[in-house]
Amino acid sequence: MRSKRAVAAAGLAAVTALVVAACGGGGGTTASGGGVYGDCKTDPNTCNSVAADQLQQGGQVTIASEKNIDNWNVISSEGNTDWTAYAMKPLMPYVFYTAPDLKSTLNTDVMDSAELTNPTTVTYKIKQAATWDDGTPVSADDFIFNWKTQAPAYCPDCETAGNGGFDQIANVVGSDGGKTVTLTLSKPYTDWQSFFGSAAPLYPAHIAAQQGDLSTPAGLKAGFDYFSKTVPNYTAGPFKVENWQDNVALTLVPNPKWYGATKPKLDRLVVRVITDATQEPIALQNNEVQVLFPQPQVDIVQQLASIPNVSQNQAQGLSWEHYDFNLVNPFLKDKALRQALFTAVNRQDVIAKTVGQFNPDIKPLDNHMFVPEQEGYQDNIASTGQGTGDIEKAKQILTTAGYTGVGTALVAPNGQAVPPLRIKYTTGNAVRQNECELFAGYAKQLGVTVEVSTTDSLGTTLGSGDYDVIVFGWIMSPFPFGGAQQLWLSTSASNYGKYVNPQVDQLINDAASSSDRAAATQQLNQADKIMSDDAYVLPLYQKPTLVATQNTIGNIRNNASLDGPTYNTAEWGIRSGS
Amino acid sequence: MLAFALRRVLVSIPVLLVASFIVFALGAASANPLAPLLEKNPPAPPNVIAAETVRLHLDQPLIPRYFSWLGGLILHGDFGPSVTSTMDIGAELGPRFLVTIRLIALAMVIALVLAIVVGVLTAVKQYSKTDYIATFLGFLFLAMPSFWLAILLKQGGIAVNGAVGYPAIYTIGSASVPPPTGFGANLADILGHMILPTIALALISYASWSRFTRASMLEVLNSDYVRLARSKGLSRRTVMVKHALRTALIPLTTVTALDIASIIGGAVVTEFVFQWKGLGDFFLNAVRSNDTYATSSWLLVSAVVVIAFNLIADLLYGVLDPRIRHA
Repeated sequence: MRSKRAVAAAGLAAVTALVVAACGGGGGTTASGGGVYGDCKTDPNTCNSVAADQLQQGGQVTIASEKNIDNWNVISSEGNTDWTAYAMKPLMPYVFYTAPDLKSTLNTDVMDSAELTNPTTVTYKIKQAATWDDGTPVSADDFIFNWKTQAPAYCPDCETAGNGGFDQIANVVGSDGGKTVTLTLSKPYTDWQSFFGSAAPLYPAHIAAQQGDLSTPAGLKAGFDYFSKTVPNYTAGPFKVENWQDNVALTLVPNPKWYGATKPKLDRLVVRVITDATQEPIALQNNEVQVLFPQPQVDIVQQLASIPNVSQNQAQGLSWEHYDFNLVNPFLKDKALRQALFTAVNRQDVIAKTVGQFNPDIKPLDNHMFVPEQEGYQDNIASTGQGTGDIEKAKQILTTAGYTGVGTALVAPNGQAVPPLRIKYTTGNAVRQNECELFAGYAKQLGVTVEVSTTDSLGTTLGSGDYDVIVFGWIMSPFPFGGAQQLWLSTSASNYGKYVNPQVDQLINDAASSSDRAAATQQLNQADKIMSDDAYVLPLYQKPTLVATQNTIGNIRNNASLDGPTYNTAEWGIRSGS
Repeated sequence: MLAFALRRVLVSIPVLLVASFIVFALGAASANPLAPLLEKNPPAPPNVIAAETVRLHLDQPLIPRYFSWLGGLILHGDFGPSVTSTMDIGAELGPRFLVTIRLIALAMVIALVLAIVVGVLTAVKQYSKTDYIATFLGFLFLAMPSFWLAILLKQGGIAVNGAVGYPAIYTIGSASVPPPTGFGANLADILGHMILPTIALALISYASWSRFTRASMLEVLNSDYVRLARSKGLSRRTVMVKHALRTALIPLTTVTALDIASIIGGAVVTEFVFQWKGLGDFFLNAVRSNDTYATSSWLLVSAVVVIAFNLIADLLYGVLDPRIRHA
């Protein structure tokens, strides 16, 4: 009997030890947004700055990547993923990039200037020193090759991620030994800065030319596909590829031919593939990686906060969460019902019960076209009352529109009972599950039954329109005018809910082909006000991005745009004395 | 014995064919391979969707698609097109199979040795303190989810590193990047990466196998022929090893072979948590990217492994029990 008790006690002690080991923190903590990231809210472009002479010469920094690199061509539909773009950033030349403050910024390592010299002409001046690592100059040839592969008229079989205005380019010519490039548009394109930007960088034409005749569609396709399949054996950035282990890691070393002002301090930069984000903080704690850029979750944020000598920072990015109606549903064709349902939604409550648990700074987003960090953002939703959770106002909208059974079992003005609506979210996404259940709760107060269900394939569900309400996120480009065309035009492939408003179409198209940016911004906001009143999509909040780093590493910042944290790898380094 | 083995191999062929159809149909029904493209923002242009539809044979009905896949597999060793156009499924499976086998084989050996030692010991010393502790630990590991056990082990590894003052144990991958130079350093690095996933996988199997060995040994030890052997004056060692253990191992052989499927399943979790790029990681990536040909290929490889281990178990019966060999 005594021995049984002893065994039980030993067992209890063992279990307790294991649980404590699993749950215990590491001691000294760094709060979210504190540590080396204390000033990121006010100075997102310069926080965690360490001067070059304060960094060690040499050393290795490893950043965890949540995805493998399956395709090296970020312009291709397959290669257009966030982590491929982050990994390629230290290798590729581009004209503009997006800084952590979400402003489009000229890449002065490669470019002397890039200007709109008249409404349909862009003139690029490439730095004389800008060369590929084999000595070939970065030149107009690269601009011409990359334009043609993204213009369906020249390369119909190039499987690009999108055409983003490239089909509006009439011509690209080089002069001044290829160091001046003149791009002519068929009509003004407000987002001209997106051309050859960091999201669509320049691939080397002289290497593409080795794959085929670039004056033919087949040759262009051969070059395009070569860059998809081949581990980069070229660079015009601060680093070059030393080694690639599929599914394991990309190892970069400094490019000896790098012509930029800031020379890399690191001996080696490793992009380590860790596809389970929940393992990243443990790897950081064990110093197997030094930088993380995972999707923020409560567990990860809390885990990071418990690791000594690690700082983390969250920033509001270009992705945003939203509820969408499917206007194919005959009941949801009625604007009054849509307005009432969106008015019943309490966005502050949604935030508090989801992402607000790990980021108290998140606020409702009040515009479909711009995020607060972008020029042009204004509140176009508050005046509609949508997202306030004002149930009385929502009921009033329905009563005025002739609905009966408000608050019990809603009946449409034509006498038909409003049937249960299906709201869907992606299987396994706990945040979206909460958002759907909350929506069902708000709708119930109006007398509308909403059934929550899941989809294994968001793309298939969106494409087939097999939903009444759906919650998901948009990843916006930093270029709002072309972005608005992609998302909101009635003819757009992204118009899953079949929203049609010719006035909105007109305003968006006019804004996208304007030479007056201020007027274009006004037009987009006009379109947004109409869309908000139409209650088709209700923006919820900007999704945060999270960066975490060992305090010993300098110049790592949270770039919440598509450029990610690797936008400035030449500056990365280990603090002296670490 | 050869005829017996051949007969078992021939019986496996129709089983594999049926399995291949089931896995292909299940894979095709489970997901739309074009979904990741459709979800892209901005959406992939229509010409891209059309080209991918043809490349992935989605313009064909299920049955012709299956026979085309099976034909390619048997005649050319082609596992079909992946949704990742740059990936050759067959070329990917080979190295990943070796990674998984390295993990599984070592974990199985450790688990078997531990299970047999502990099983025999606890049977011989039934109701002793040793028996109670082993029983408790066995049930603890049986009840513990493998991913949680893995996380506990990782925290333990970090604590060890802190205690020794240098990184001896790693939590991610099967080797450092870049690997250290020098034979000794490289070996230490590989072992440092192997230790935690191997323990995690071994403990799960050890738990059930040790219980099974204990029960089996107890049954044999209480049988008449063992009593007879003892009464004839045979040494304790001879009775235990030659008479009792050999008989007790027959049911363990069956359980081990049958458990292969669950070990492969456990390896999926273990590989994912420790980021070993083996078949488990391949399978999860395939599922996540709606890669139906890759999913079907993984299931087929798993089916082959399970059938192969069942065959090995059948052959081992013959070794352990001559009556089966001569039947």
